[in-house]
Amino acid sequence: MIGNKMTRRKFLGISAASAAGVAFAPALTRVVRASEKTNDYSILPKGKREFIASNCDMCVNKCGIICEVVEGKLHKINPNPKNIKSRGMLCAKGNAGAALPYSPDRLKTPLLRTGKRGEGKWKEISWDEAFKLVAKNLADLKEKYQNRSCVAFASTEGFQEEFYYYLVNSFGSMNTVRHTTLCLSSNIQGWSSVFGVFPDADLQHAEYVIMLGSDRAQALITPDSVDFQRFKPKGQKLIVLDPRFTETAAKADRWYPVKPRTDQAFVLALINVIISENLYDHAFVETYTYGFEELKNLVVEYTPEWAQAKCEIPADEIRQIAREFAYHAPRSVIYPGRRSAFYPNEVYIRQTFAILAAICGCWDTIGAVVPKSSVKLNMHNVIFPFFMLSQPRVDKQAVGLVKDVVPDSVACPMVGTGLPVDSCAFLSEKDGSWGSFREAVLQDNPYPVRGFFCFKQNPVQSVPNVQKTLTMFEKMEFICVIEQQMSDTAWYADLVLPHSTYLESWDPVHNLGGIEPIVEFRQPVIKPLFDTKTMFEIAGGIIHEMVKIPSLWDDIEPADFEAFKKDILEGVLDKPIVEYIQHQVLEYPGAFEELLKEGFYTPDGGKARYGSTRNPDFRFKTKTGKIELFNERYKEFGLFPLPKYCEPSALPGPDQYRFLVGRTAWNTHTSTQNNPYLWEIQKENTIWINTAEAKKLGISQGDEVRVKSKVSEQTIKAYVTEKIRPDCVFYVNGWGRQSPWMSQIYKRGASESEILEDVLDTISGSMCMHETFVTITKI
Amino acid sequence: MADKQYAIVLDTKKCLNCKACTVACKFENFVPVGDDTYRIWVTEMPLQGKFPRLHQEYQPSQCQHCENAPCEKVCPTKATFRTREGVVLVDYKKCILCKACMAACPYDARFVSDLHEAVEKCTFCMHRVSEGREPACVETCPTKVRVFGDMNDPASDAARLLSSRQHYQLKPEKNTRPRLFYLA
Repeated sequence: MIGNKMTRRKFLGISAASAAGVAFAPALTRVVRASEKTNDYSILPKGKREFIASNCDMCVNKCGIICEVVEGKLHKINPNPKNIKSRGMLCAKGNAGAALPYSPDRLKTPLLRTGKRGEGKWKEISWDEAFKLVAKNLADLKEKYQNRSCVAFASTEGFQEEFYYYLVNSFGSMNTVRHTTLCLSSNIQGWSSVFGVFPDADLQHAEYVIMLGSDRAQALITPDSVDFQRFKPKGQKLIVLDPRFTETAAKADRWYPVKPRTDQAFVLALINVIISENLYDHAFVETYTYGFEELKNLVVEYTPEWAQAKCEIPADEIRQIAREFAYHAPRSVIYPGRRSAFYPNEVYIRQTFAILAAICGCWDTIGAVVPKSSVKLNMHNVIFPFFMLSQPRVDKQAVGLVKDVVPDSVACPMVGTGLPVDSCAFLSEKDGSWGSFREAVLQDNPYPVRGFFCFKQNPVQSVPNVQKTLTMFEKMEFICVIEQQMSDTAWYADLVLPHSTYLESWDPVHNLGGIEPIVEFRQPVIKPLFDTKTMFEIAGGIIHEMVKIPSLWDDIEPADFEAFKKDILEGVLDKPIVEYIQHQVLEYPGAFEELLKEGFYTPDGGKARYGSTRNPDFRFKTKTGKIELFNERYKEFGLFPLPKYCEPSALPGPDQYRFLVGRTAWNTHTSTQNNPYLWEIQKENTIWINTAEAKKLGISQGDEVRVKSKVSEQTIKAYVTEKIRPDCVFYVNGWGRQSPWMSQIYKRGASESEILEDVLDTISGSMCMHETFVTITKI
Repeated sequence: MADKQYAIVLDTKKCLNCKACTVACKFENFVPVGDDTYRIWVTEMPLQGKFPRLHQEYQPSQCQHCENAPCEKVCPTKATFRTREGVVLVDYKKCILCKACMAACPYDARFVSDLHEAVEKCTFCMHRVSEGREPACVETCPTKVRVFGDMNDPASDAARLLSSRQHYQLKPEKNTRPRLFYLA
């Protein structure tokens, strides 16, 4: 039925993705062949049927799930209708999680490299051997470099990450590097500069919402992706600014294909109108804020006409939006969103958003932006030894290095940009900065880093300028990756340790933050299928081998070593993890039972918490204790205390396009593309090119094109569309894979980390992923 | 007492085009991975307008459970039948894979199932409904585009939406009288 095939393909609307050359054989484990023809429409195998509550781990959101398990085999993951954060939803990825444990591409046992790095020759070894090997390498590196920070530890958020830090802190390295500077560190920094915290948006009660550069319909974040359509109040208005016509833009009352990097000009003009027309919340500004007069002086020049020339949004419409925003305040939201790793001055851009919210009093009240609440958990108060041989972070120390990764226009006439060029102004001790960290390691400045551990992160695919990452790997004497599948990073490892899936393991209790406080955990819904372990078990296994090597403990007091063994090993890692979890919720009678039954716990039914900071005596976490429109700390650091407008970067040349990043609803960064149920939705990525530009370049739908940036080039098929500005192109992350063990997607499409240049925002240490200019040529 | 009459009412304006429903359906109903094996799908409707004045909608679709079902009429073995609740089903035992129903269906909602050795399609998840649960697609949707319910029960959400909101059906010219109602 070829005809049928063609119509269906049209139906599915997947013209952006091309058909795969090979037919896919369904995962064997999913085939339940009826022994004879039956009319049992569910065709579930007969036997013991259970519904077990837990939480998803296919992305960051951790939505509530109810797993239907038949005779020990996972049949279906359903949403948990009671979960107050995920609000009864489960996306494509969450559903596809049911195929994860049964994937033929899973890592099943520890693997030791036998050939060259990246050659793909491996030997299966036992966990015992693996633990010994890790401990020995840690001891050797410590002896050789007399510095525990010579081993770096990369990871990303997740419920098992705290146990990775048990390993990090037991070894004593200061060099940890997390995903944050590839994601939202500038957003957190910008909002916190004003309010002291990074808030959430109360979309289910807001009357007016401005979203800039957030695609909540595709880059799913709960509860926002639910609330902005399912629970939006009648008459809520949505204004979207995005260079692409995203699914979110399709929902907007008004969409503006804003000129990239000029969002700040738009928001400054809103502030200008709101102040000059006296529409701001006088009482709120008076009671809670600091620096209004300075702000007022700053924005005088930022008129709507001035902004129109920058952002290409008509001045009269800017005026109208400003008036509407002020009219609906405090039920107006300028949406904080999530990823902000776009431009060098991103912190100032986000600071501007926060200031708009502040002067309209859109803070900590229903329908506004609201600080996150949490549930107090009973912490495991473990104290790790103080190791003499631990030097401070490389990216903190390496003064001058960031010069290599800041845009030319900042590095050269730096006066007037408000951006440091010597070192990053505000680095989180735990997160570090991928851009400056890698630069420091490459230059052995201030000391050599020769060991690299990686848990759940995939820097080869996620950190811009992959050649630099691979060169960094060449410096490493030992690379250990803890993963579920052979990621592109694992492919370059010396030792790969297979991690259990979230469906096979217990995970500790964590706060999710949010306007409605909630804690979650995970429990196994199926028995482990292979010889895999969780980070809890891996940390315990490695540390047990470490305590057998005396040289690893010669720079601490003997008494501290004894206390360490007692507290960390006997006290935590040697006990069943269930005891760890029970300890966390000790203060709430019945909470553990509630977790087992529902997968989550809220002490007060999860009611929204508003107004905790709306008290004139409340001290905000800023220097003055007020909501700072004028930032005193920034002033001290020689940064702009006010979000002065500047354009600290170059523009694309005549033949160049600005490369944009973004998401789809059916993949998480680089971690899910190999799942067959998601692969069938999109089999490779394609590059969005505006119709008129494609015509100029002689490119038709589906043509192969060469994309070339300063650092690399990639080949990819064209998706010619009206849905993008003529001066921009876009393709989604997660493709162009180097690891052949990603059998479904190996070498399909183009890699984002290959094409992106590494440009640094030197206030937060964040990467700037909208600062790469490319040329496009038809092949 | 009158039989239940099942229907799905869709508010496509809420659809995020996230594909949660299609994946949920595949797991729930053991539908294998493949471009030709979908019981439900989400169509990106043609983009309207020119940059920068654009408009686009997303339309989930599937077997429409027609009251006047062409598939039922053409089936030589009576494998396709309608239940008392108005759900169109295939009796896999009777299906001889002649594919006449596939040709007759105006909605392209049927395909050959290797598993059942028969033509298959959406069943409104009757095995879930009989347990008091919603169809998988209805339950998993982030924004709850689909509302499943009994049209004969005026208190049901589906019936209330149908009585209070303007709605349309797909391909009305085919006179199939679908049980899927799209809110205008």
